[in-house]
Amino acid sequence: MSNNRVSRRQFLGYTLTGVGGFMAAGMLMPMVRFAVDPILQQQDAGDYVLTDQAVADITEEPVRVDFTFEQVDAWYTSEVTNSAWVYKEGDKLIALSPVCKHLGCTVNWGGDPENPTQFFCPCHAGRYEKNGQNIAGTPPLGPLDEYQVQEQDGFVAIGAVRENTLV
Amino acid sequence: MHFNSKDIDLYAGQKDYVDTAVVPLIELDLTDAGMKASAEASEYLQSLTVILEKQFKGRILLLPPISYVRAADRAELGEQLKKELSETGFKHIFYLTTDPKWRSVEELENVLWLPAIPTGDMDQSFKKSVMEDQLRQVLPLFTKEWTHHS
Repeated sequence: MSNNRVSRRQFLGYTLTGVGGFMAAGMLMPMVRFAVDPILQQQDAGDYVLTDQAVADITEEPVRVDFTFEQVDAWYTSEVTNSAWVYKEGDKLIALSPVCKHLGCTVNWGGDPENPTQFFCPCHAGRYEKNGQNIAGTPPLGPLDEYQVQEQDGFVAIGAVRENTLV
Repeated sequence: MHFNSKDIDLYAGQKDYVDTAVVPLIELDLTDAGMKASAEASEYLQSLTVILEKQFKGRILLLPPISYVRAADRAELGEQLKKELSETGFKHIFYLTTDPKWRSVEELENVLWLPAIPTGDMDQSFKKSVMEDQLRQVLPLFTKEWTHHS
């Protein structure tokens, strides 16, 4: 201890370095935190809406599955119920939007007795194949939209709507 | 389609396809005794027309409900509505109501009278299934009208 005497000059140097270090750290830490924040954000799995349709009951025949979510429209919050046509292709779940690409009516599976294996729009007799492909010669100009879909604890969960990826 | 600016823009370009108007007729009863029933009927009819619009969005224009007081002259109101609508391009016009007095009014065709079901106290999922049952009663009347006169 005695042969390592700290001079007044050294003491001041250490002190200033220490205090300056703390101040620099105090400024830099929040900046670093802000910079890496997007990486730390939790991916929100809540974008999927859980339905009460069991995956085990889904067959190759499309069934209507309803799902409800809250929609905020300016100051008015309302519960909106939408539906999807869900079926299995092999083991893969497929969910199609029931909204007709012509003018937005709701299409039904097998709604036309003459075409029991197609989606049928009652408004202007638009028809779609099972995979959502619109049938030429009927009013719709594009295939039905598709929902992202996954299985959660044995039940169907429906996500965001996107363009049809099957056709 | 709803009677709002966005849908009306779309309607203006698609008049050939949107050939059906739906007019809800709602009686206002503001007496202490009748207010609750009147509100229930109004709620029921509006829920029904909204799901009807969802089903047939591309072919029907859902007008805002026409509300009138108890003493209103149905025949005269019907006449005026009919005249206003005859100046539009709609081929089919449906009037939906829970008010029994319309049943004896001869001026209007296609008045669908429905008994009001008080849905206010039901829970969401039960209400939904009741309304869908109701919708299933109404849908064939529309498709029948369309296939007969298209």
